[in-house]
Amino acid sequence: MRLGRHELILEPRPALPAVYAVLGAVAAILLALVLASVLFLSADAPIFAAYRTVFSYAFFNPHGILATAHRSIYLLLCTYAFLVPLRAGLWNIGLPGQVYAGALAAFAVPFALRATGSAPALPAGVLVALMVAAAAAAGAAVGGFAGALRARLQVNEILVTMMLNSILVWLVAYMIKEGGPFMGATAEGESFTLPQPLYAPLLRGVPFTALLALGAAVFLDVLFAKTALGYRIRALGENPAAARYGGIIPVALSLFVFLLGGAFAGLAGYHYFAAVPGVYKIPGNYGYYGDLGFYGIISALIARGSSLAAVPIAVLFAGLSLGARFAQGALRLPFGVDYALLGLLMMTFIASHVLYQFRLTWRRVAAEAPAVQAEISRE
Amino acid sequence: MWELLARSLEASTVFLFAALGELVDQRAGVLNVGLEGLMLFGGTAAFITAQAMGSYPLGFLAGMMLGALLGLAHGFFSITLRGDQVVSGMGLWILSFGLTTYLGGPYTGPLGLGRIPGFLGLSPFFPLGVVLVALTWFLLFRTSLGLAIRSAGENPAAAEASGISVVAIRYLCVICGGTLAGLAGATYTLSYNPVWTYNFLMGWGFVSLALVFFSMWNPWILLAGASLFGVMWQLSLSPELVLPGVLSRYVWRTVPFAITIPILVIISTSWFRTRWGLAKPEALGRPYVKG
Repeated sequence: MRLGRHELILEPRPALPAVYAVLGAVAAILLALVLASVLFLSADAPIFAAYRTVFSYAFFNPHGILATAHRSIYLLLCTYAFLVPLRAGLWNIGLPGQVYAGALAAFAVPFALRATGSAPALPAGVLVALMVAAAAAAGAAVGGFAGALRARLQVNEILVTMMLNSILVWLVAYMIKEGGPFMGATAEGESFTLPQPLYAPLLRGVPFTALLALGAAVFLDVLFAKTALGYRIRALGENPAAARYGGIIPVALSLFVFLLGGAFAGLAGYHYFAAVPGVYKIPGNYGYYGDLGFYGIISALIARGSSLAAVPIAVLFAGLSLGARFAQGALRLPFGVDYALLGLLMMTFIASHVLYQFRLTWRRVAAEAPAVQAEISRE
Repeated sequence: MWELLARSLEASTVFLFAALGELVDQRAGVLNVGLEGLMLFGGTAAFITAQAMGSYPLGFLAGMMLGALLGLAHGFFSITLRGDQVVSGMGLWILSFGLTTYLGGPYTGPLGLGRIPGFLGLSPFFPLGVVLVALTWFLLFRTSLGLAIRSAGENPAAAEASGISVVAIRYLCVICGGTLAGLAGATYTLSYNPVWTYNFLMGWGFVSLALVFFSMWNPWILLAGASLFGVMWQLSLSPELVLPGVLSRYVWRTVPFAITIPILVIISTSWFRTRWGLAKPEALGRPYVKG
């Protein structure tokens, strides 16, 4: 852009130290929160009171903290589901579909083993372990399907995973509504409720899936930082052509990242529908919970693919989305504050991404040069 | 039967508008995977404007302008900043999904205006779509501007050397593409199904994106594909017309999405690629660096 004798241009930045990446992430989150205050303007409450409502519910209210913990585990698992393929340069936007697949598989275990009553045939511990394994396997199968197509035939993984989302949404509806196999006794468009022996073991009120989610953060960090497999995945993601020269074969890796990512999303499905106290069923508005999985995309992007950095980010987003939901009711805001925040975060992330890679420079234009330049190019 | 067909063609029109815009984008070498987001935002803006002003033309105008604006944003990121087009497109989609959920929330429910009059039950948008297809085909394959667009998508360096401004051409195309995506969203919320609910599209934008790949970047094949998908969509909504009592209606809803996957697989096979795949713009998705 030219302004008089000066020119404002965007030019690529030389590589920045890592600390700027952290600053950029923090700035993006803060800016999204500031922009979110526009949402609160429609409410009667003053803006600071609105923020206080959001944060005090999410992180200080005893009921809210537990809800934040449950949602953090869910978002964290969804984050890994997106993060692992992202490291290989692939986009897994099939988080809701893989979550539903995991949930359906988890509920299929007691259904198939006729353990939906209060006296299951197998020891409860075995059944819970089977449910977890089935959920991970189903998520991996759905993710792996997209991964296999990508690996073998270069089929666009964004389209396939999105189609799978739509397919799984309707399959869940089929299973739990209008006389579907998993329909609950009350026939309100919900699945049957798990019997009490199959409730997930709790540690201080939080299901054991918390350990899985935190353990996975360490596991993935070691995988990408220290192992040959992780190195190959990163190489494929950062420079596929160079990776191929280096003898890295993308086929198996593309499949692997989607299998692993899908398994995490499947676990997320198990966690949110079968392990969170007070739920233990697939509710009628399961679509709302599935779409929350999209927070995993923004968490992984802001964490720049680091599973350890994703932990605080996922906890923060879990709290914010819950607190925003609570504030929505308390301050009579329109529906969807939590999703609006998701959108704002995406916008500020892209902006911070741009500023990380480019800088604005203000340059003086030599007085005669442009005219001469134009003459030359015309000749 | 005619009613079903007319309704199917109306659904096709939504796919067609969005996909036609994306086709023009892609012919110039810009991939916008956030098509669904542009449609969501365009549709929501159109719905809110039409309801507030009580006017259809203003609604369509708002939808198209917002679509163009988002197309411009995608252009700025992918053309000027030469960023990753998938990141930008996905960003636009999530942004639109989140913000429209909130902004449209208070307007949840029916539009409350009289239906747009049709001709023998057929919405006026389908003929408009056919005209647009013909125009796009003529523009792309029979005019020098079309040649410039196609060369910007095939070999931008060569195009630039022959005196074409690749940046200008690509901007023109992303703005046109965004306008058409906004029009598609507006057609959905004002004509096809004038009831606003959150995330009302549920994948239509992604199906439209897939249709562009199926079309081999040819507007006429796109018209055929969109019509086929419109019929399939409508049948999946009312399967009892063909196979009464077979399977749950929820299972039928998966069919249009389930069919998309094998088609994507077929067009991705090496057999198909070597035989017909040459139509894919060579520089699709790659930022152009001058010099």
